[in-house]
Amino acid sequence: MPYKILDKKEIAMNEVWYRIHAPHVAKKVQPGQFVIVRAFPTGERIPLTPIKWDREEGWIELVTFVRGKTTMRMANELKPGDEILNVAGPLGNPAPMKKFGKILAIGLITGMVEVFPIARAWQELGNDVTTLHVTPNPMVILKEDFEEAVSRHIVEGYDLQPGWGMQEIAQELVKRAVAKVKELLESEDWDLVFTVGPAGGQKAIFNVVREYGIPMEADLHPIMVDATGMCGACRVTIGGEVKFACIDGPGFDAYKVDWDELIHRTGFYAPMERLALETYLKQLQAQGGEQ
Amino acid sequence: MAVKRKIIKDRVPTPERPVEERVKSFVEVNLGYTFELAVKEAERCLQCPYDYAPCIKGCPVHINIPGFISKLVEYRDNPDKAVKEALNVIWACNSLPATTGRVCPQEDQCEMNCVMGKVGDKINIGKLERFVADYAREHGIDEELLFEMIPRIEKKGQSVAIIGAGPAGLTAAGELAKLGYDVTIYEALHEAGGVLMYGIPEFRLPKDIVEKEIDKLRKLGVRILTDHVVGRTVTIEELLQEYDAVFIGSGAGTPRLINAPGINLNGIYTANEFLTRVNLMKAYKFPEYDTPVYVGEKVIVIGAGNTAMDAARSARRFGAEVTIAYRRGEEDVSAREEEVAHAKEEGIKFEYFINPVEFIGDENGKVVAVKFEKMKALDERDARGKRKIVGTGEYVTLEADTVIIAIGKHPNRLIINTPGLNVERGRIVVDENLMTSIPGVFAGGDAIRGEATVILAMGDGRRAAKAIHEYLTKKREGQNA
Repeated sequence: MPYKILDKKEIAMNEVWYRIHAPHVAKKVQPGQFVIVRAFPTGERIPLTPIKWDREEGWIELVTFVRGKTTMRMANELKPGDEILNVAGPLGNPAPMKKFGKILAIGLITGMVEVFPIARAWQELGNDVTTLHVTPNPMVILKEDFEEAVSRHIVEGYDLQPGWGMQEIAQELVKRAVAKVKELLESEDWDLVFTVGPAGGQKAIFNVVREYGIPMEADLHPIMVDATGMCGACRVTIGGEVKFACIDGPGFDAYKVDWDELIHRTGFYAPMERLALETYLKQLQAQGGEQ
Repeated sequence: MAVKRKIIKDRVPTPERPVEERVKSFVEVNLGYTFELAVKEAERCLQCPYDYAPCIKGCPVHINIPGFISKLVEYRDNPDKAVKEALNVIWACNSLPATTGRVCPQEDQCEMNCVMGKVGDKINIGKLERFVADYAREHGIDEELLFEMIPRIEKKGQSVAIIGAGPAGLTAAGELAKLGYDVTIYEALHEAGGVLMYGIPEFRLPKDIVEKEIDKLRKLGVRILTDHVVGRTVTIEELLQEYDAVFIGSGAGTPRLINAPGINLNGIYTANEFLTRVNLMKAYKFPEYDTPVYVGEKVIVIGAGNTAMDAARSARRFGAEVTIAYRRGEEDVSAREEEVAHAKEEGIKFEYFINPVEFIGDENGKVVAVKFEKMKALDERDARGKRKIVGTGEYVTLEADTVIIAIGKHPNRLIINTPGLNVERGRIVVDENLMTSIPGVFAGGDAIRGEATVILAMGDGRRAAKAIHEYLTKKREGQNA
């Protein structure tokens, strides 16, 4: 079932925003839930999180971080008016909506997208929400939206250095996140910490939070295929038990997560993902050569 | 037709692709009969009377098997006519014959008590059914029959929602559409077909055949909403407000895992994940298709059912050395005979009486070996007639860089959490009319059975369609009264 792209734009470096007509999702989606998008006939199914939606008009908004073949192809080839083949959902459980008190909600790079609807809803419920976005400076997104939605929005940005690869960017990300979180936990009292982002960064943040004994929730992003509880690709160990992030999550108690296992499992397909991307880039080059 | 038949003992064989060719590709292994071969096989049928024929009794949907076989012989001079007549007989009971002809366990059903078996080979009913369906599709005969049928359908003005576009749901949808109901199928994945698309591999059931069977339903007016996850996108309660009845055919999609250390190591798949990547997402065409699948050099498949054979034979096609590890003995292997034979021909090794107790990984969290306990069988049998097994306390470790767990599935969890829906041990409870504890909501297939076969699910789909028809007829008459 195709879904029309109503609007699309690049909102920061490698960050592309889409508004898509998907009334069945818009009608039902709750903060914390996600969708599966399949954009092309030969495409994979990728999980993405709606940031905003309109139940009446039937649209949802998504942001992709251009990182692999699918997100790059979407960025290159899709334009407003085009259709996306599949948008399935909403999937996963809504985030727990109750009064926690003072909340620190952290998003690493594009993970911030997923923080938005949850943080906004928590604030609306009467929580005092501080959001922290740790990201390279050219990838700052949704700043105004956050400033409007929550008590306080902090951007911990850093400049990319010439010659940095993904590894250096990630190392700096973790370093910055850990330092900033320490500073915030040291200077203020918190009732809940919430994170979304790469598993390595989440683990590093958890190690800080644990020292302060503050409750912590984490939205996990293991590899998913069907995301309806059928395949078990997304299995994670929570308190010694095997859970499926797609139907039992994506939010879990950070104290119970087997972080090292999650990090291993998330990285398993990296070599094949790279191969897919390189093959696609070669095709683009060949096409460019013909023109 | 009182024709005196002579006994032909030997089955007419169906051509198969040579082993060395098929272990390198996903094209279909069995090539099926030509019309001439099909007639030759059909002539062997003794034409048992309808009320006696053991084949009809053995078929879960009671196809008039001698009836369709006789048409092939009767109209042997006019292949199109022969096939059309035969298809008409099959369609009275089964709307997906191209599928069932390929995936039914005929040796345990229609062919089991074939009278010919007492003097020679049993009739190859599965391959004849498949021939009729394939020939009809390739020559447009199925469409012809369909278009003759459509104008005769009387619209009832009532609607039915079907959950799941697998064998049970598709069958129920087809039958209800033929009875004149407005039918909408809610499917969670991006393609209709359920296990026929994500589970059963291309080399056993080509996907374009499944797609064409589903196209026929669309021509009957069935609406299919993909990307709709019932339980999330819409609830059964909401469906009941919009439709006059609901049928749950959501299958058994939750994989069973082994409760042993190391189960979450990289390189360990459930059969569902492995087969979904390979079949539905077409990972065997990576990187042309975007979804990858990692298959190492040494693959161990745990389990010995059809799913295990499908996973093992798929892995073999990626060039791996594949071993099936089963905790029981050869006599208890539950897969279809043909699949086991094909697996053996393709060089898959079978290790019996070993039960996994630990998955061993390297420092990167990647599986490198599986530790098994050696089992032994007792003389005592369990409720299913299988010999009981016990551990021996002896262990053996086999190297593996890929492990596929194929030990069964449970019904999907999202649906069974519906308030008011009576569920026992994960299975939806139904009455003799397949109605659940919620009035107007029916269920069938693996959602009520746990894990069974395509044809049993289709049988449930038919029975449920009949029951829904009766339920809605009463409702209609109640409103008119």
